[in-house]
Amino acid sequence: MTLTQLAVLIAIALAGGWLLPPNRRAWALALLSLLAIFWLQPAIAVRGLDFWLPTAALGLALLTWAVSRPSPQTLTRSDGIALSVVLLLVLLVALNRYLPALCCLTPGRPPQATAVITGLALISALALVGWRLRARPLTPLLAILLLVSAFLVLKSEPLARLASAALRSASGQDASLASALDLRWLGYSYLAFRLLHVLRDAQEKKHYPASLPEFLAYALFFPAYTSGPIDRLPRFLTDLRQEQRDRRQDVRAGGLRLLQGALKKYVLADTLAIFSLDPANALQVNSPMWMWLLLYAYALRLYLDFSGYTDIAIGLGRLLGIRLPENFNAPYLKTNLTGFWNAWHITLAQWFRAYFFNPLTRWLRTHPAKPPIWAIILVGQTGVMLLIGLWHGLTWNFALWGLWHAAGLFVHNRWSEWQRARGWTAPARPWQQRVLAAGGWLLTFNFVSLGWVWFALPDLQSSLHVLQALLGMKP
Amino acid sequence: MITTLRLIRLMEEIISPLSDYIAREILKQPTRRIDPDEALISSGLVDSFHLVDLAVFVEEQFGVRIDDTELTADTFDSLRSLATLIADRR
Repeated sequence: MTLTQLAVLIAIALAGGWLLPPNRRAWALALLSLLAIFWLQPAIAVRGLDFWLPTAALGLALLTWAVSRPSPQTLTRSDGIALSVVLLLVLLVALNRYLPALCCLTPGRPPQATAVITGLALISALALVGWRLRARPLTPLLAILLLVSAFLVLKSEPLARLASAALRSASGQDASLASALDLRWLGYSYLAFRLLHVLRDAQEKKHYPASLPEFLAYALFFPAYTSGPIDRLPRFLTDLRQEQRDRRQDVRAGGLRLLQGALKKYVLADTLAIFSLDPANALQVNSPMWMWLLLYAYALRLYLDFSGYTDIAIGLGRLLGIRLPENFNAPYLKTNLTGFWNAWHITLAQWFRAYFFNPLTRWLRTHPAKPPIWAIILVGQTGVMLLIGLWHGLTWNFALWGLWHAAGLFVHNRWSEWQRARGWTAPARPWQQRVLAAGGWLLTFNFVSLGWVWFALPDLQSSLHVLQALLGMKP
Repeated sequence: MITTLRLIRLMEEIISPLSDYIAREILKQPTRRIDPDEALISSGLVDSFHLVDLAVFVEEQFGVRIDDTELTADTFDSLRSLATLIADRR
């Protein structure tokens, strides 16, 4: 997100948060967010794709809303009106092709009106089929598979390249120029996980009473669209429906958070980026001291960049009266790895705990075979950390990063259990506690920093070079 | 007044076995007393694995299901808030 884009979003959030009456908030946020996702989408070389991807995001949100409705409910008139308004708005965005005055709403020239109308008819038809068949157990499962399949294609370089080649051929472009970069679908990783949560809950017969504008405001909420946090629908609805709020306090708190985020992201993180570890400088440095410096700079930059974006999202949300969940809680100050993972990318870790770790652990704990506790923990933690790693991309380096943390968490868990079993208690004297905490912090921070070696570099050879240099094993 | 007393007794009936279970099975300190308002999840006292165990215990002991998505500090973070949740669902 550029500073100009940020300034425009702040102005919109400030005006919206101040002027909108509570009963118009859902509508306004849904429509503003829809416009924002077209506007923020980066330009793509495949013809029309930077228009179709935000349109597909809308389609997936519509489908999820339709499939997750309780089955006796009928379509209300206001839902019908909301659907018509939303489709009309996309058509208006598509007019960008013919009206130069709307030049800035889409990154490229949108497709022809007939193609747009056909596309909108298709996503509406898909949502309608989802609505009609939502009582069947297979329907939410198919919607989940659709979201996950798209995720796999986007996150896997060879699949994304194949998809790009197919799309290029379909639009009459040279398929030999296909690249995974063609499939830069802004915000999909976060959108998919917001929608998957609603679909998984619908499978468990948990339906949330969101109208269509409320649901679209949740799914496409522009402050959190590009980088999270991954909110939950029931929590979002509580804020959205709140009638009384202190607007002055929201502006003050939101403004401060935005300032904090902008400082972290655009000043500190961007400065640290100059001398952070990256694939280009990794192989040029052999000195342990310089390599540690690059690594620590990377660790700090990554935190400041991501938590800065989160501050911006939370600040923008607060201006609009929505208190998005926190994503970070001083992770680099934690004194053990479990503490780190309760404080780093909190909403993603909670998502995987809720929908993977907890059900798996519950199933294994109540299984008649009674597997040993250590095995359950090993399987659960390895699974979660591997999935969190692969969420960033289906590559070996992200898998290794996940496994690195899984190993660390398992060792910490066994160590804690070993201590508990022997009745170990924390030392009584404050200075002993401080020494222990400092030791734990040093170990945790360095373990996490070393883990970033896998995360930052795309190939094993570079990572091994960096690890050897860090340990002084390079001449 | 009677309602308040019954509520207090009900809470004690729930809190006491929960406290015993956490001290004995999770913390491995059977004599430890857990304050009803002590943070359980946000403080790291109960980790994610034992949280699931606690949910299984609550289901077996009180017949109250705590969903996988509810095992967070936002739903309950102390013995008192957990006991309130159980009392509400019984």
